[in-house]
Amino acid sequence: MQTRNASDAPASFNSPFKGSASSTSIPSFAAYRNKSKGENGPKMMQYFMVGTMGALASLGAKATVQDFLVNMSASADVLAQAKVEIDLAAIPEGKNVIIKWRGKPVFIRHRTESEIKEAEDTKWESLRDPQSDADRVQKPEWLIMLGVCTHLGCVPIGEAGDFGGWFCPCHGSHYDISGRIRKGPAPLNLEIPQYDFPEEGKVVIG
Amino acid sequence: MAGLSDFVYNTFLRRNFTMLGTVFVSAFALQMAFDTGSDRIWDSINRGRQWKDIKAKYVQAAEDDDE
Repeated sequence: MQTRNASDAPASFNSPFKGSASSTSIPSFAAYRNKSKGENGPKMMQYFMVGTMGALASLGAKATVQDFLVNMSASADVLAQAKVEIDLAAIPEGKNVIIKWRGKPVFIRHRTESEIKEAEDTKWESLRDPQSDADRVQKPEWLIMLGVCTHLGCVPIGEAGDFGGWFCPCHGSHYDISGRIRKGPAPLNLEIPQYDFPEEGKVVIG
Repeated sequence: MAGLSDFVYNTFLRRNFTMLGTVFVSAFALQMAFDTGSDRIWDSINRGRQWKDIKAKYVQAAEDDDE
């Protein structure tokens, strides 16, 4: 690399043009030179400033994106209504209970032994929406499902219909004691929500 | 001093991806520092007025209500 020490160079310039030499005297810039060895000091300063700017900009971008995403997530009052806990001890055997969950009715049926047997012995392979009773219940004595007819969304009537289960009065869909569609226009079985039994005698839906 | 700045330059700033990594890691650290620091300032200004400060007085009663 070619190096030149500016302080050694003459602070004047011999112009090849005669008669103009006195007008071009170049001042010395020695006072402005970087006195430290190497160029890392100024470079570090520049990179530090660039990096800090980048860090602050990415912070701002991240905060903006996060604000939009948080805005889209469910709020606390919605989350508080998303789960419902029911005391099962209050439901006697052979009775229906309808509760409201997320704005929809939920049927809870405490099934008797004969109803469980009937639901399990049904030839479900040939039904319109084939589903075994074991796929639809976690505990056979508790049938928990959304009380919305899968045809057009009416609320079926309990303990009615040709199959001892539910009957939708709007267009005459018959559901059996496992909530499966047996007769009428509805295409699917009554929907099963997510639920679990955190302890004996309690169910949490949602 | 020169040795330190040489070291920092060669480790963090010389290559583009280490520079970018440094920037993002420092952004994360900056955010953590800012969030915890501002939270602490807020808590010290509002000491005794927030739910977490007075929860101990009420939480026993609330649990009794529930059961």
